[in-house]
Amino acid sequence: MKKPSHLLGLGFMLPALIVVVLFFLLPVFMTAGIAFTNMSTDTGITGGAYELTPNTIHNLRTQGVDNNLLAQLETDVYRIDEPGLAALATDMGDKLAKELGDTHGGVTFQSRRELERAIKKLKNKPRSTRKLKKAAAFFKRSILNQRFETESEFVSATRNLGLDLAPEHQEVLSKASYTGWTWTTENFSLMTKLPSTLRIAGNTVIYVFFTLTFNVSFGLFLAITTFYLPGKAAATFRTIWFLPRILPPVIYVLMWKWLTWDTGFISTFFGQFGVPAKNWMLDTNFHAWVVIILINGFVGASMGMILFSSAIRAIPAPMLYASEVDGATRWQQVRYIILPQLRWPILFITSYQTLSLLTSFEYIFLATDGGPGKATEVWALSAFHQALANYGGNLQYGYGAALALVLVIIGIIASVGYLRVFNFKELVARPRIEQ
Amino acid sequence: MRILLDSFTKTFGDVTVIKDMNLDIKSGEMLALLGPSGCGKSTTLFAICGIHGMDGGRLLFGDKDVTSLPSQKRNVGVVFQNYALYPHMNVWENIAFPLKIQKRSKAVIEKEVQAMAELVQIEELLDRKPVQLSGGQQQRVALARALVRKPDILLLDEPLANLDAKLRLEMRSEIRRIQQQTGITAVLVTHDQVEAMSMCDRIAIMNGGKIVQLSAPEEMYRNPSSDFVAGFLGNPPIAFLEGVIKDSHCHLHGGETRVALNGHAQKVSDGQKIKLGIRPEFFRPEFDLKVKGKISFIEAHGRENLYDVVLDNGDILRSIQNHDAQYQLGQEVTWGICQDNILAFDGEGERL
Ligand SMILES: Nc1ncnc2c1ncn2[C@@H]1O[C@H](COP(=O)(O)OP(=O)(O)OP(=O)(O)O)[C@@H](O)[C@H]1O
Ligand SMILES: [Mg+2]
Repeated sequence: MKKPSHLLGLGFMLPALIVVVLFFLLPVFMTAGIAFTNMSTDTGITGGAYELTPNTIHNLRTQGVDNNLLAQLETDVYRIDEPGLAALATDMGDKLAKELGDTHGGVTFQSRRELERAIKKLKNKPRSTRKLKKAAAFFKRSILNQRFETESEFVSATRNLGLDLAPEHQEVLSKASYTGWTWTTENFSLMTKLPSTLRIAGNTVIYVFFTLTFNVSFGLFLAITTFYLPGKAAATFRTIWFLPRILPPVIYVLMWKWLTWDTGFISTFFGQFGVPAKNWMLDTNFHAWVVIILINGFVGASMGMILFSSAIRAIPAPMLYASEVDGATRWQQVRYIILPQLRWPILFITSYQTLSLLTSFEYIFLATDGGPGKATEVWALSAFHQALANYGGNLQYGYGAALALVLVIIGIIASVGYLRVFNFKELVARPRIEQ
Repeated sequence: MRILLDSFTKTFGDVTVIKDMNLDIKSGEMLALLGPSGCGKSTTLFAICGIHGMDGGRLLFGDKDVTSLPSQKRNVGVVFQNYALYPHMNVWENIAFPLKIQKRSKAVIEKEVQAMAELVQIEELLDRKPVQLSGGQQQRVALARALVRKPDILLLDEPLANLDAKLRLEMRSEIRRIQQQTGITAVLVTHDQVEAMSMCDRIAIMNGGKIVQLSAPEEMYRNPSSDFVAGFLGNPPIAFLEGVIKDSHCHLHGGETRVALNGHAQKVSDGQKIKLGIRPEFFRPEFDLKVKGKISFIEAHGRENLYDVVLDNGDILRSIQNHDAQYQLGQEVTWGICQDNILAFDGEGERL
């Protein structure tokens, strides 16, 4: 009897489980995985090959790898080896090839001129300068800008250059010229080093704190004032304040843009008084913040308003009557009776909004896109920019994911913290049944 | 403090719930507003404490006209039907709330709350939240909260409706004790006639937004002004017999039984329809005016038994007797009515 009922429970849970796995756990795990790679547009997201580019050499130089060695890698060298000699033999005859092999076999020349001089001294030297140059060209050896599919091919190619590479140098070289992605914790060390990290963290704190404060207090204000209004007026007000939420974000933000553009409402209005037209959203950092907080605040406030309103209406009327005959004024009624009973909805809105604000950036993206400069670039927007909309065109998937992972971790810690602080268990505990 | 309602009218939208009600409550008196559900008891109470505004008439506390005074300024203590305790405050805070609102000093609040807790005997519950209290305990807290700021008037809206029978009995005398101890003018709303009769100095019976009679309980029981009042008071309820006047006697419908109309004879004329009210304690074997019937129902009340007797015309009389009288269901009996205690009403239900 017991088993089937268990299975039934599982059956009911299954859709929820699938949703949680598909839309929460999977993205989180993928983010966590990618955060520990250096994936970018350059590396691609599949495997890679080995290729030494001038760029790689530049990077190695900044990392302090021996300059001489790098110079050698950068310039072409000429090495008298079997493949070169064989090619020479088929093109210009065995004699020249044999003589060159006998005299200079295995020798590396640092420049073409040196090799040409050596060939000129041979008995079977080519007749014309053109032929001489052609002969020398057979021995040109370089790995610059060549693709090697495996590391061993790459290593043997460097060996072929005749460079005297220590094993540890060889390793650095292979690693640097690998074009695919690799596992790394560098994203996080980079994050701690970059000054922009502090900036976006600060911006996020400003954004979340002020938007949340605005949300909750304005939502409460609307809920309480509409509670005391007569029914029809209250419903009308609530509908008006609900518009920001039901409007598509793009249209909603566009309306704010119309309001603040240099040919928009505010400019036109103040133009009447001789104030020069300007973009009121982007002219100063302060204005940008005010607009961002208002845009997000009104959206959030409408949700708070609905939730708080229904919570207030759930308070039994006799309780409010009781406070009135106990002598409480409107304000005292709000302060001592209504607000304390809104503790749970306020907690809910606060925690819910903190988490959603931490991760939301769509309104900022649409309004200021982090501007002016980076004044309103918040953490989530920065992660988005790094990973999916980089100005340079080189999308840093790994770094973006690392930024996002930090948000995920903060979010989880914050949720646990909320539940602790507000004593969740006590809040949801059932009241004892009256006798 | 005396309360005077002078042609009080209350309307909700198009519906006039109470029209031109007059009510004079003496200082220190406990008055019951008794009536069936929806007759306007709570509405009257809410008008007295100021929760609902009045649509007509005046309200006086003492000599002071408080008609347009907001409820905050009326100094009225109210116990609501479901107590309306503040769930987020513990018992102490609930009782202290009216004083806290008045910004009284800590010491005063502490002292007053303690005194109230002692009066209603809940000293050991002060730390509890309302949900952790039984109904009777909640009721005491509500009473303490209503009384703590020494109101001029105490209003109770069906305060005992949620309690079990035993607790109700206990709280009845408790509330009365506290009311007498504090000497406060009190109005008790109830639809339980036993409650009204046992607790109050006077009862105002309401029906359809009107006060139909205002008397002391005993007087109202013995001397109801209408069949409605007679029917409302008394448990088990009064039984009514219908009849027609002939030769200064009342002839019951479809039977031979004649009832002499002692004192009322001069008020009626032949052919008039009337209604006789007979309380169960006045229909017993020992009385003179015999009627015949058959026992159709027996209800054991412990000390007493209640019998329903169907007369040959189909009317039913009730009788309450000692439980040791052994009668069987269906038994034919000839019992008597006590003629002096018959209540006679005219066709409209007015007392003759
Ligand atoms: N807010 C209101 N709006 C409209 N009608 C109302 C309102 N309050 C009460 N009424 C009506 O007024 C009448 C009297 O109501 P009231 O609450 O005074 O009855 P009551 O005597 O207290 O009844 P109960 O014993 O059931 O509590 C009822 O018919 C009720 O429907
Ligand atoms: Mg009522």
